Amino acid sequence: MSRLGGFAVKGVFWRRYLDWAVVNLPFYFYPVNIFFFTVFFFFFAAPARRAVVANLAVVLPGSWRAMNYLRAFRTLYNFAWTIAEAAIYRRIHEEFSYEIIGAEWLEELGAGPGAIVLTAHMGSYDLGAALFAEKFHREIRMVRAPEPHPESAEHVSASLQKAGERGVKVDYNTAGALLSFDLLKALRDGEIVSIQGDRIEGGVAEIDARLFGATAKIPNGPFVLGLVAQAPIYPLFIARSGCRSYQVIVREPIRLQASGSRETDIARGAAEWSSVLEEVVASRWEQWFAFTPIFAR
Amino acid sequence: MNQPESPRFYFALPRLLAHWRGGSSIRAEKNSAEAWAAHLAIFAITYLYFARFIPDGTSWWSSGLMSVALAFLVWLFWLLMLYLNSLILKLLHGMGLLRSLPVRRGQGILIVATTAAMALALVQNGSFAGEIAALWLTAIAMNLIAAGILAFSNGKAARL
Repeated sequence: MSRLGGFAVKGVFWRRYLDWAVVNLPFYFYPVNIFFFTVFFFFFAAPARRAVVANLAVVLPGSWRAMNYLRAFRTLYNFAWTIAEAAIYRRIHEEFSYEIIGAEWLEELGAGPGAIVLTAHMGSYDLGAALFAEKFHREIRMVRAPEPHPESAEHVSASLQKAGERGVKVDYNTAGALLSFDLLKALRDGEIVSIQGDRIEGGVAEIDARLFGATAKIPNGPFVLGLVAQAPIYPLFIARSGCRSYQVIVREPIRLQASGSRETDIARGAAEWSSVLEEVVASRWEQWFAFTPIFAR
Repeated sequence: MNQPESPRFYFALPRLLAHWRGGSSIRAEKNSAEAWAAHLAIFAITYLYFARFIPDGTSWWSSGLMSVALAFLVWLFWLLMLYLNSLILKLLHGMGLLRSLPVRRGQGILIVATTAAMALALVQNGSFAGEIAALWLTAIAMNLIAAGILAFSNGKAARL
């Protein structure tokens, strides 16, 4: 990769800059900087901007395109705050507060045996996993899509490995069937596996789901795993509610029972998940960081 | 991480006021209103300082364009200043000076000192910009006094 590749929107330069800024910036030197960085990326991260605008057209039917550009700016602005705060937590371990919505399900998840946490590209999922590991003293395995730039991938791995000291282990969904077997074994050993279930990345197996009255492709892996391992699937979202404050939203687990038709069982799980996802995204669209087109045209 | 709590502050002045009203005077980095107010004030002082160099007598669209461009230039100026400050702090730490001073605190001191210098230059001119600058200098002075009172009452080192 050329030296200039590091300056690409997903290049390593920005990640390194964020890490540097977190160590160097005083608390009160974030707001205006984050605003200007959002302006910068709003123009230069054109594919992400267009994807958010396209997704919002489905999430908010009848909305004006011009307004959706402003909403896309708001989404990118929230994303900037979220990644900055995740870096603050990771690098300098500053104080954060959180509120739990659906505490009974979170307690059940923390106390129970192997389970799948199904989440979305919303709020700070890295922070949420670290929070969970810290609260329940349990290791959590996060499945992530690999970074497109090799240097960025290396940097993210190193950062997350550091977070791993706090009970978060990261797997990348590039190893194909091998990863599936690893995750199945982890579930059977009583571990918690966290997967993002709102968009397809890296050619993983997919299933059609109905979301906001449109067809969306979501990964079928979580449902296959849940069915085979007979592990409950907990929908869980981390939404930013203010400066260094988050909401942990946990919904009733999806339990898949084998009925004889694998396809039907998986489709039922996907339908239950998409219904929860739709409800949460509808109320927090400004924190849905799905920077690729989700809906089929 | 913990459960939500009553408002807490970063700067010494609101912490002292909170203390007098029976609240907590422990420093917290969680008050976005406080962060916005401080950062907008620093940005405004810097903007007004550099706006003096926009030549008079240009057309309205030209000065409008320069005013918008200046906002971005002020942002870039501070990115550069933060980097230069980090080099200054690294040099000082390398020389064995101020080693116990955390980098972010050192940056804060240099940022406030730079802004205060700009505010002093603006105050000399009078005008509306001078009034804003005077407000900033008053706020810094009150914050320093509050830090002193808090340090005296808590028996801890003063922090801005």
